[in-house]
Amino acid sequence: MKRRWAGAIVAVVFPLVPWSQSRIDTDVGEFRAQQEVLYLWSGDHVKRLFPGFEGLAADVYWLRTVQYFGGTRLYARDKSFELLRPLIEITTTLDPRLEIAYRYGAVFLSERPPIGAGRPREGIEVLSRGAARNPDSWRLRQELGFFHFLYLHDAHRAAAVLEEASTIPGAAFWLRTFAASLLAQGGDREASRRMWRQMFEQAEAGILKENARLQLRILDARDAADDLTAAVAEFERRHGRRPERLDELVRGGVWRGPLADTAGVPFHYDGQTGRVTVATESPLWRPR
Amino acid sequence: MGRGLSRVAAVAANTFRETVRERVLYNLVFFAILMTASGLLLGQLSIRQDEKILIDIGLGAIDLFGTLIAVFIGVGLVSKEIERRSLYPLLAKPLSRGELFLGKFAGLVFTLLVNVAVMMAGLYATLAATGRGVEPRLLAAAYATLLGLVLVVAIAMLFSTVTSSVLASVLSVGVVVAGRFSDVVRHMGEVLPGAPRWLSEVLYAVIPNFQNFDFKDRVAYGDPVPASVLAWVTVYAAAYVTVVLAVGLASFQSRDFQ
Amino acid sequence: MEEAPLVVRGLTKSYRVGHIRQSLRPALTDLDLDVRAGEILGYVGPNGSGKTTTLKLLTGLLRPDRGEARFFGLALGARAWRHRVGYLPEHPYLYDYLTPVEYLDYVGRLFGMSAARRRERTRELLALVGLERASGTPMRRFSKGMMQRAGLAQALVNDPDLLLLDEPMSGLDPLGRRLVRNLILELRRAGKTVLFSTHILSDAETLCDRVAVLRAGRLLSVGTLGEILHPDVAHLEVLVGGVGEGLGAVGGVVRQEAVGERTRLEVEEGALGRVIGAVEATGGRVLSVLPVRQSLEDYFVSEMAGSGGGADAWGEG
Repeated sequence: MKRRWAGAIVAVVFPLVPWSQSRIDTDVGEFRAQQEVLYLWSGDHVKRLFPGFEGLAADVYWLRTVQYFGGTRLYARDKSFELLRPLIEITTTLDPRLEIAYRYGAVFLSERPPIGAGRPREGIEVLSRGAARNPDSWRLRQELGFFHFLYLHDAHRAAAVLEEASTIPGAAFWLRTFAASLLAQGGDREASRRMWRQMFEQAEAGILKENARLQLRILDARDAADDLTAAVAEFERRHGRRPERLDELVRGGVWRGPLADTAGVPFHYDGQTGRVTVATESPLWRPR
Repeated sequence: MGRGLSRVAAVAANTFRETVRERVLYNLVFFAILMTASGLLLGQLSIRQDEKILIDIGLGAIDLFGTLIAVFIGVGLVSKEIERRSLYPLLAKPLSRGELFLGKFAGLVFTLLVNVAVMMAGLYATLAATGRGVEPRLLAAAYATLLGLVLVVAIAMLFSTVTSSVLASVLSVGVVVAGRFSDVVRHMGEVLPGAPRWLSEVLYAVIPNFQNFDFKDRVAYGDPVPASVLAWVTVYAAAYVTVVLAVGLASFQSRDFQ
Repeated sequence: MEEAPLVVRGLTKSYRVGHIRQSLRPALTDLDLDVRAGEILGYVGPNGSGKTTTLKLLTGLLRPDRGEARFFGLALGARAWRHRVGYLPEHPYLYDYLTPVEYLDYVGRLFGMSAARRRERTRELLALVGLERASGTPMRRFSKGMMQRAGLAQALVNDPDLLLLDEPMSGLDPLGRRLVRNLILELRRAGKTVLFSTHILSDAETLCDRVAVLRAGRLLSVGTLGEILHPDVAHLEVLVGGVGEGLGAVGGVVRQEAVGERTRLEVEEGALGRVIGAVEATGGRVLSVLPVRQSLEDYFVSEMAGSGGGADAWGEG
């Protein structure tokens, strides 16, 4: 008889559990366990706490890092990047071979706000440390090279790093040619596109892949803006004056594509200079 | 009903007496030593960090000692009675199994309440003695911790009705540890790409989330704990405890004592 | 007309054995029993025959597969009869961190007795079972015998009309056994009913008004000793002096045994005359003749052997 009572109580009361849990999560936030990181704990301290279980602890810290910064909240504005460096440091001290942690930290330290912390030197430092600890990893060096180019605009250093990476056994065959082309061409955008494309292909589904995809869209938007600028010049050539607005290009027969970038934000047209650029309010805008 | 309650009270009082006689409260002595030592040794660091460390140690010890008591005494409440058969003469009295079960639960909860209260007094005394402030918000953390301990007791008692004391202890500790990593459970898809999403959702809902009861960091940093959050945590604890006790009771009621 | 203290009908219980492949082992099958008010009923049987199982079923430690029992007309599941019944389990374990006074007080609280009444009753009971001097000693220091007596005391707290005792004499020295025996007899004098299980048959023989015999989970027979045992004289025990060997050859002498200078003969009933003649013929003297009836033990042995139970019935259980 008591079994039936118990079943009834469970059925009636248990739903309160997930319900109150969701209220707690809303009020307190899902990621409460992070603040302790700021306090005193360096990677070495933490490592001493988990003798024998460093790998597992690394996983847990990695998980918390990812939860805090990521998933689909690529555009979220309320992230605190103060925790990123310590979290990455702890994770990689616990497990120096967790390559994805270095890569992750580098991306989010280097990228401009609001996506990242806007501190590319720190990001590169993280990658350097990763490369130093993993002498066999050509991929980390590849990204280190890419980042030198993409964020610090240092083609020479980038080429040097890629050269070095190409000497590692098992390295991708195109690293050397990449390095060479970096020095040969001046074209920023082409090289950037190739790098981001490479990283896009190499990344597993997840936040790093999404970021690479975003970077490619940014480049595409710039290309589209340049094409529009050329169309404006063409219009001027044909009609003897600059268009007042961009939709005149369509009516004037010099342009057949969309007038907004892939984020749906219309391009900015400066009538005075005739230049078309990505609008500053677009998520695809980046300062040069 | 009144008779029933007085029987439950008799069992609870005897359970409390048992824990006292079994020297459970001696853990308070260790706590006192720990507090004194910490208070003395930390005099060298800066004031702010000092206080935080002291609070961390104090609240952490309350949580840890309380959990150990809740698991091992909680399991023993039922298992020991069954294994030693001290249950037998009692169940022939006009004492129902439910009254016995609930009385033991109440007795251990009371023990934990006393334990936590004395420890908090000790923590406050240490803070005061070393020149720091006496912060009422620490009580919020202690209260939340106590709620968590009550849940641990219920879980320990449930496991001990269905299996031996050793296995029940192991399972209880396992559940408590898993519950403290509830965030990992919830997002296990990140480290285990193959894990299906529904599995993490279900596990997250079912495994008691002991992080809910952990406000130690907040109060140590001086952040307030809003009353609404405490209210929701209380609801969570009350609901979960009710469910676990109901199942444990049903299990205890239907058991054969061979 | 007061209802009978205990009426059992069809009580049955099987245990599951085995971990992977389970089978059912019957422990008690279709028990029908009536306990009459004011009697001492002995519940006897070899180990594993279901005595303890019966008592556990009655007190609610086990759930029966089927069957029912009524205490003073009240169903097994009712709470009210527990105020009139006392139970002493086999090898009782009472909380060893308590003194007997504390334990009896605790039990008294469970009965809803007032504090004053509990104090009084505790004093009485400890005196009754001879534990006054140990009243303040934690029971972890008790010997087995002392624990047994404390167990008896807790069974009597509520001054029950019916007592269920599982092996009440176990672990007791002769003084203790006598104490318990006298206690049981005293209880009957006071109009109580006692059901006690034992495998010490001589206790059952001397104390009980009626005996219920259990074998392999089934009730073999129940009744007074006179009803169960063979009424006729089984044999005669003849004590003779001054004879040598040789009497064994006389027909009717089942056994011959030297007892010091004398000889004890076990003689079939009808052969008494012939044997006496033979004794006197060889110059011996007949010192005494005693009729011996079938004892409970004899009955047991013959029943167990007859069923093919034999040694097994007395073995594991």
